[in-house]
Amino acid sequence: MLTRNLANYTTGVVRIKITGVFPEKFINLCLSEGILLWGIKKEGEEIYANVRLPDFFAIRKPALKSRVKVRVLGVRGLPFTLKRVKRRRMLIAGAVLFLVLLQILTSYIWFVDVAGVKNVSGDRIKSIAAAHGLHPGAVKSGIKAKEIENSITLAMPEVAWVGVRLTGTRAIVEIVEKTMPRTEDKSPADVVALKDGIITEIIALSGQPMVKKGDTVKRGDVLIKGIVPPPSEENAEIKMPVSPPTEPRIRANGIVKARVWYEGYGEAGLVREEYHRTGNRKMSVSLKIGNTVLDLKKAEAEPFPNFESEEIFKKFPSWRNTGFVVETKIDIFYELVIDRFEVSPEEARDMAKEQAVKILETKIPETAEVLVRNSEVLSSSEPGLTRVKVFIETVEDIGYTQVAQPTSQVPEE
Amino acid sequence: MKSHRRGKMERIAALLEIPDDIVLDLPRITMLGNKQLLVENHKGIIEYTASLVRIRLNQGELIIAGENLTLGNLQTEQILFEGIVAEIKYEV
Repeated sequence: MLTRNLANYTTGVVRIKITGVFPEKFINLCLSEGILLWGIKKEGEEIYANVRLPDFFAIRKPALKSRVKVRVLGVRGLPFTLKRVKRRRMLIAGAVLFLVLLQILTSYIWFVDVAGVKNVSGDRIKSIAAAHGLHPGAVKSGIKAKEIENSITLAMPEVAWVGVRLTGTRAIVEIVEKTMPRTEDKSPADVVALKDGIITEIIALSGQPMVKKGDTVKRGDVLIKGIVPPPSEENAEIKMPVSPPTEPRIRANGIVKARVWYEGYGEAGLVREEYHRTGNRKMSVSLKIGNTVLDLKKAEAEPFPNFESEEIFKKFPSWRNTGFVVETKIDIFYELVIDRFEVSPEEARDMAKEQAVKILETKIPETAEVLVRNSEVLSSSEPGLTRVKVFIETVEDIGYTQVAQPTSQVPEE
Repeated sequence: MKSHRRGKMERIAALLEIPDDIVLDLPRITMLGNKQLLVENHKGIIEYTASLVRIRLNQGELIIAGENLTLGNLQTEQILFEGIVAEIKYEV
């Protein structure tokens, strides 16, 4: 059935209307002539039928013989489509032009992307790729992916793997970087104390320990000195070569743990104030053109007894705003209402404590181990104010590697 | 004389197991439910309307009554009707 439909389409089909006294005779004559009719339908006195275009011209004889009138109702099929198309040559030309342009434009590289770069400069990779023919505007078929990959890996030792991939008009250079071992600083240095404290543990990995367990140290004291330690007692018998007159300086390294005390202070009133927006607001809008300011809408400087304000600037994107500034400034004033709550002394104390701990937490490093946490309510001279002191005792590593120079300082906390 | 000969042909056809319609020039009528009707080996259309069709056969005529009858495919050897077939009558 499909092949017949296809055949009908290629030859062309004419829909005809047959009127006459005896249309059955016409149908029988067509049958004997070998003219194929199909889709025959009778509506009242008229018969509608389909006939192939080559057969249509042969229909004249049986029509005359049976004295019927044949009228063409419609045509469809390839010959008629072609005829229509011939009348609209430019449409075809446009379609062909479109395909040709599409083919041409897609055969060039328009974008070069570099993916996977972290430390390596993407521009450098792009320039190497461009030197080997991979740049925007290059013909796609002329790109030798293998050669580019090899040249990038050769030129950049920090790159472990390179893959050049073409997706449409976009070339993607994928980079996998080598993870380089961190270069260790070998310059001589001491380990000094970062904080005051009492030493609980000292392990010198290299260098000479200058303090021992139980010692009290101050910030900046040298804990491990960056010199080669003298032979210990057990190895005393082994004759050491005469040590050079100047002590060789090395980089001291080690773990020095110490107990450190922190003290924090917080206070809280017995009345707490909370601010809420009432929903009332006033706006002022001003337009700035160049150096002139136009007020479009004004609000008084302090529209509410309690308020907070917000400023919004609206401007054009920067490429439209070069030189000549055009922007609007919107000030919004929100009315605030203050709610006062009475706070019980216990709650006030907790709040003050929390405040103090919060301040201390910024000072204590995360690795520190908290041993003791005490708080003390101070006697307050002002009524309605609770003042709390918080003490925290921790054990933490206080060692800080400092380059052995007399001028260098312990960093600020 | 003619019937005698026909009887003979029938016997030969039965002996050689050749289908009767080929030997005897009989129409073959195939129906698909009441939707399609295919008549092979017909001798032309006598009358055609949407509700009644008469087809000339070798022996007499075939009268088909129905609704919305259309001639789907009209060839020298076969006619295909489409529509709703209600009744088929054989008139010898």
